[in-house]
Amino acid sequence: MSDAATAPNVLVVDDELQIRRFLRSGFELDGYSVSEAENGREAIRTATLRPTDLIILDLALPDLDGSQVLERIRSWSNVPIIILSVKSSEQEKVRLFELGADDYVTKPFGMAELLARSKVVLRRKARATTGDSVIRIDRLKIDLAARNVFLGDERLTLTPKEYRLLQILAQYPGNVVTHQELLKEIWGLPHINDTHYLRIVVRKLRQKIESDSNRPRILLTELGVGYRLAPPNEPADAQAN
Amino acid sequence: MSRVRLLPESAIRWTRAATQPGGVGGVVGALILVTGVTLVLEVVKTFLNLPPIVITYMIPVLIAAIRWGFLSAMVATMAGAASAAFFFYQPTHTLLVEDPARRLGLLLFAIIAVVAAHLAVRMRRESEIVRKREKEIGDLYAFSRRLAGSHSTADIFDAIQRHLSTVVGRKVALFEPRGPAGRSEPIGEGDVPENVRDAVAAVIAGKADVAARMPIAADHGDLWLVRAVSPKTPDLGVVAIDLGQQTPESEEEIRARIEAVLHDAASTLEQIGLAHAITEVRMRAESERFRDALIGSVSHELRTPLASILGAATVLCNAPAVAGEARLAALANVVRDESERLNNEIQNLLDATRITGEALQPKLEWAEFADVVNAAVERRRGRFGAQAVEVDLPAEMPLIQVDAVLIEKALGQILANSAKYSPPGSTIRIRGWRDGDMLALAVSDQGAGLSPEDSAHLGERFFRGSRHIQSTPGSGLGFWIANSFVAANGGTIEATSAGEDKGTTVTMRLPIPANVEQMESISSE
Repeated sequence: MSDAATAPNVLVVDDELQIRRFLRSGFELDGYSVSEAENGREAIRTATLRPTDLIILDLALPDLDGSQVLERIRSWSNVPIIILSVKSSEQEKVRLFELGADDYVTKPFGMAELLARSKVVLRRKARATTGDSVIRIDRLKIDLAARNVFLGDERLTLTPKEYRLLQILAQYPGNVVTHQELLKEIWGLPHINDTHYLRIVVRKLRQKIESDSNRPRILLTELGVGYRLAPPNEPADAQAN
Repeated sequence: MSRVRLLPESAIRWTRAATQPGGVGGVVGALILVTGVTLVLEVVKTFLNLPPIVITYMIPVLIAAIRWGFLSAMVATMAGAASAAFFFYQPTHTLLVEDPARRLGLLLFAIIAVVAAHLAVRMRRESEIVRKREKEIGDLYAFSRRLAGSHSTADIFDAIQRHLSTVVGRKVALFEPRGPAGRSEPIGEGDVPENVRDAVAAVIAGKADVAARMPIAADHGDLWLVRAVSPKTPDLGVVAIDLGQQTPESEEEIRARIEAVLHDAASTLEQIGLAHAITEVRMRAESERFRDALIGSVSHELRTPLASILGAATVLCNAPAVAGEARLAALANVVRDESERLNNEIQNLLDATRITGEALQPKLEWAEFADVVNAAVERRRGRFGAQAVEVDLPAEMPLIQVDAVLIEKALGQILANSAKYSPPGSTIRIRGWRDGDMLALAVSDQGAGLSPEDSAHLGERFFRGSRHIQSTPGSGLGFWIANSFVAANGGTIEATSAGEDKGTTVTMRLPIPANVEQMESISSE
């Protein structure tokens, strides 16, 4: 991780030369060091041989399907992986998130968007390795160890389901957790399709933690896919280090 | 059944005639009427001491003839004559009649009754025919009106099916000769048994002309008749008619009747040039499918290089070397913005092909409307460079059951249009409210508004207002896509405007599910 602090290594996997070229320039301009792979096998080899902090993975590869590459890498590593795809179907996104993707970007996209998302997943990784149990998002403070939630100085009273929801999301702040995963974790497998359970609890939780529950700033909706928390505050990271 | 077969042929026919509607009932009815008249005459004779008037027995005869037919009228005639002889003429309580003048009177009564009954029955039959003709013409008129409104072969076949059902008066399933999915699916109500479907397939394949002459018995004993609607024009499809449970005799008769009706219907269909219409509609659908496939694959191929162009442009825009050079930065921004626009147009084309390709199956899920609105506003944020956006949603809105992604796209199209046709510095207002059993969302802008011509054509694919064709780029797909997406979710969209340059309000309405309160009573404990 000492490498990552200076220049994070990003592995760009895409069979299109032009895409790799602009991704390399974009990442390098932002201070990353970049390696490339043009097919699935090469990607897996590179990821094992070289220290990698982030993988940008295109789904349409000539030899392996991108989701296979994702599964293989996930079997030994939890390096952040952002998926690129021309397909934007929500079912596809759900499937990839459940296979362990950290984020999903639909082609075509702008470099600024990809850089912003890269930053979020890298920060998540950094926080996970420090093992900090306190997450601060805006005025909200979640203490996972003490099981406390504060809004400003006021301690919030949450129902068990509301706390569980917040806890699951806070384990991966900034990352999407799918509806099915949340339903399974909170209500159990039989209720995996009862999306309205989730909507109601989210609504009640938002009324407690958001200043305007119709325009949430903390508990965000990823339409048709799931929920995520806004990225944690910078000072939280600073405190952790 | 075997009992009936033992009787001679003429007896069978007679029995059948008597058991026709009005047969037995008619005989009984005639006897009741005659008894009634006899009672009245008896009363008249006892209390008023008037001689009986035999002609009174004409009343039951005529009623029977008009209501139940000739057999019933004859029974009434005989019963009337017999009653007069038995109750009123000397010697009473026998069928003998003493007075020769009265005997002649009875004979004349019988002759007049038979003639009058005959005339009455004929009149009844004629008025029935007239009524039937009238109904047929009405049916045909309804059918041709339905045809005129047909835009696809499915519509035409639906119209034929309804027409045949009305004409035949039985459950009719119509099979398109060349259904889109290989095996033809029946049009119209009800399940068609598997062995009947096999027969239909054989007739469609042209293999089973003779074998299909006989009706087919389904599992539960119902008989089905399978026929090509028209032997001359196979394009008109194949019908399977449910005859219900029938004895062999009645089956033969009903089959003959249906064959005749079908024959008439087929010649009518041929006369109105239906076959030609079907071919034409089918060709149009074919070419639309081809066009959509072409657009689909071209769009996909265009997107790949576009991803490189857009990505590279965004890198250039932020590269220090370019960002420091105002003129170069402006050019890089043009490349970026225009490729984004191109990307949006391609997305619109793809969405449009999804709609016409009938692949649009909304994935309904419980959703928070505010989430959908926020996502749409967020996604379009870059577009509102010059306009302010105000969102006003009530604190508590019911959950709705929709495909949130489709609704977000629809709302995105509406917002994009508002942004495109509104002046810089103006405000776009988004307001939500509960409207009875609908959830309404209005997007109001202070922009170009709608002329009457715009309003009339707004929902059409590729329509663009004549004022904007020169000045504002676009494909004219946006509103059409929004409309289709919302309709697929059971909602409606309407656009209103006070006139040109007076702003536009687009209102989307989505149904609130009836069971929403029960769904929302979930506890979060």
